[in-house]
Amino acid sequence: MITLAQTIAPYLEFTRVGFVNILAFRLRYWTGIITYLINVTVYYFIWKAVYGPAARSLGAGGTIAGYDLGQMITYVAVGWIIRSFYWNTIDQEMAYEVLEGKIAMELIKPISVQWMWFSRAMGESAFRLGMLTLPTAVVITLLFPVRMPASVAHFALFAAAVLGSFFLMGAINFMIGTCAIRLKSILALIRAKYWLIELLSGLLIPVAFFPAPVRAVMAWLPFQHVASTPLQIYLGKLTLGGAALALTTQWVWVVALVWLADRWWRASVKKITIHGG
Amino acid sequence: MPDAPLISVRELSKQFRTFKRREGVWGAIQNLVKRDYRTVQAVDRVTFEIQRGDMVGYIGPNGAGKSTTIKMLTGILVPTGGEIHSNGYVPWKQRRQYVKTIGVVFGQRTQLWWDIAVIESFKLLRKIYDVPQRDYDERMELFNAVLKLNDYLHTPVRKLSLGERMRCDLAAALLHNPPILFLDEPTIGLDVVAKDHIRQFLKEINQRYRTTVLLTTHDLDDIEELCKRIMIIDHGRLLYDGPLALLKQKLLRTKQVKFVVKDSEQAARIAVLEKDGRKIEAVDHLTYRIVFDRAEVSTAELLRQILAEVEVRDLLIEDEPIEEIVKRIYAGEALKEVSA
Repeated sequence: MITLAQTIAPYLEFTRVGFVNILAFRLRYWTGIITYLINVTVYYFIWKAVYGPAARSLGAGGTIAGYDLGQMITYVAVGWIIRSFYWNTIDQEMAYEVLEGKIAMELIKPISVQWMWFSRAMGESAFRLGMLTLPTAVVITLLFPVRMPASVAHFALFAAAVLGSFFLMGAINFMIGTCAIRLKSILALIRAKYWLIELLSGLLIPVAFFPAPVRAVMAWLPFQHVASTPLQIYLGKLTLGGAALALTTQWVWVVALVWLADRWWRASVKKITIHGG
Repeated sequence: MPDAPLISVRELSKQFRTFKRREGVWGAIQNLVKRDYRTVQAVDRVTFEIQRGDMVGYIGPNGAGKSTTIKMLTGILVPTGGEIHSNGYVPWKQRRQYVKTIGVVFGQRTQLWWDIAVIESFKLLRKIYDVPQRDYDERMELFNAVLKLNDYLHTPVRKLSLGERMRCDLAAALLHNPPILFLDEPTIGLDVVAKDHIRQFLKEINQRYRTTVLLTTHDLDDIEELCKRIMIIDHGRLLYDGPLALLKQKLLRTKQVKFVVKDSEQAARIAVLEKDGRKIEAVDHLTYRIVFDRAEVSTAELLRQILAEVEVRDLLIEDEPIEEIVKRIYAGEALKEVSA
C-alpha cells in the first residue's frame, strides 16, 4: 500500500532542494528586491501622470475604468508583490536541460517530471515569499499609499488565487519548456510568452482598460487569471460571491492547463533525442 | 528449464532524423523555408537476451549505437522498431514503474544535484525510491567501505573530481538495490586507482545481490575483469554476441613470447631463431619479442627452441591484446571469422 505521504515525500524533498538551491544566489536576491522597487516606482509615477488631468477634469475622486488613483497604485504595488511569488523560470531551466541532455537524468527517476518541476519552483517561490515578497511588500507599503485588502475573507480568497497563479504560470512554463524537445531553441518563444503574460495577465494595465472586444476574448483565455483575478479580489472589485466564482474559474483553468501540459509532455517525450554521451 | 531471460531485446531499431543545414547566407534563407532531413540508423535490428546475474560488456566504436541502445533500455528513448522486455516491463511504456527497478550511470553526466552536497542528493534519492532507513544505512555502509565516499559526502557535486563524482553516481544508482544496472562508460576519464575501485565495487555488488549488469566501455580492461560475455556493435548492427573467451579463441591470430637474455653475448645469437611465421623485435637491448602466428607455429616448439639456443633470464607468453582483436573487428576484417 502506497500512502499519500509516501507519494508526496519526494516532491517535498524537491521543494526543499529548490529552497536550498536559491540560497546559493545572494546577488540575485538583492537585485530582485531592487528591480521590484524600481518597477513599482516607475508605474507609480506613470499612473500619477495619467490620473493628473483626469483628476482635474473629474474632481478629486476621479476614476478611469472604475479605478481611482489610490486603487490603481494598490493594484500595481500588490501586482508586483505577488508576481515575485508566482513567477518561475521552469521554461528556461527546461530548455537548458533539454539542450544539455540533462533531461535524461530526470527520465531515469520514478517521478512525474511535471510535478518535479512544480515542486522545485514551489521551493524557490516559498523562499522568495519569505525573503523577497514580504520584505518588498513592507518597503513598498511604507513608500507608497497602498490600501489594505477589502476584507479578511477577500484576503483569504486572494491568497488562494495567488497560489492558483503559481500553478497557472507553472503549467504554461512547463508547456513552453516542453517545446524545447522539438524546437531545441525556444528563446524567442520564452520572450514572446513573457510580454504576452505581462500584458494579458493584467499586470501592466488592468483588464478593465482594454477595449470591450479584447476583453471578451480575454475572458475565454487563462491569462487574466494570473494577475487580474487575485488583484480584483484583493481590491474588493468583486463581491465575495463574485470572488469565489472567479477563484473557481481560475482553478478550473489550473486543472485544465496542468492536464494539458501533461498530455503535451507525454506526446513530446517520445520525440526526445539525446546525442552523444 | 532455464530461467526466462531478465532482459530480452528483439529486432530493436532506432532511427534519428537529423536536420541538414545548408551553408552560407543563401543556404540559411533556404533553411527557413525548406528543411532537408537525413535519416540516421543508430541501432539496426539488434536482438539479444540477458539472464539474471550476468555481467555483459557492450562495446563498439564511437557512434556505433551503444549509448542509444542503453537509452532505449532505460526508457529514455522510444525505439522506432522492435521490442524490449526488461524485468517484465516495456521501458518506455511503463517508465515510472520500470525505472524503480533499474540503476543507471552515464559516465558523461551525473544524476546528482549539482549545487547541493552529495549527502543531500542521497537523501533525496532515498525519498524518491522510498528506501527504508535501515536498508539505506546498511547500503551506505557498504558503499563507504568499498568506494570511500565518507571523505566528500558533504561537498557539493560541482566541487568533486571526476573519480569522486563517478563513485557517488554509482552509489546513487544502487541506493535502491535495483536488480538491473546499466552503465554507460562508467570508467571514462578515470585514473587507474579509481577504475580499480569501481571494478571491485561492481564485482562485489554482482556477487552479493546478483545484480545484472550491462556496461558499455572503451576500456577493454573493464570487460576482461568483469564480463564473461561481450556484445560488439558497429554501425548499429550487432557483430558479435558471445563469450569473451570464444572471441579470443576464434580471433586470436598471434601470440607473443617476450624474453630477456642473460647478456649481450647471448643477444648476438638471437638471429638463430629467425624462421618463417615469426617476427623478432628488440624491445630494449636485452629484451626481445617474438610475435608468431598461432596456426603456423606451435608455442611449445618455439619455447623449446628459444631455451635450447639462448640463455634466458626471464620469459613471458602473451596473447594478442584484446584491443588488437577489437580493432580488427571494427575495421571489418574479422567479421566473417566470427559468424563462421
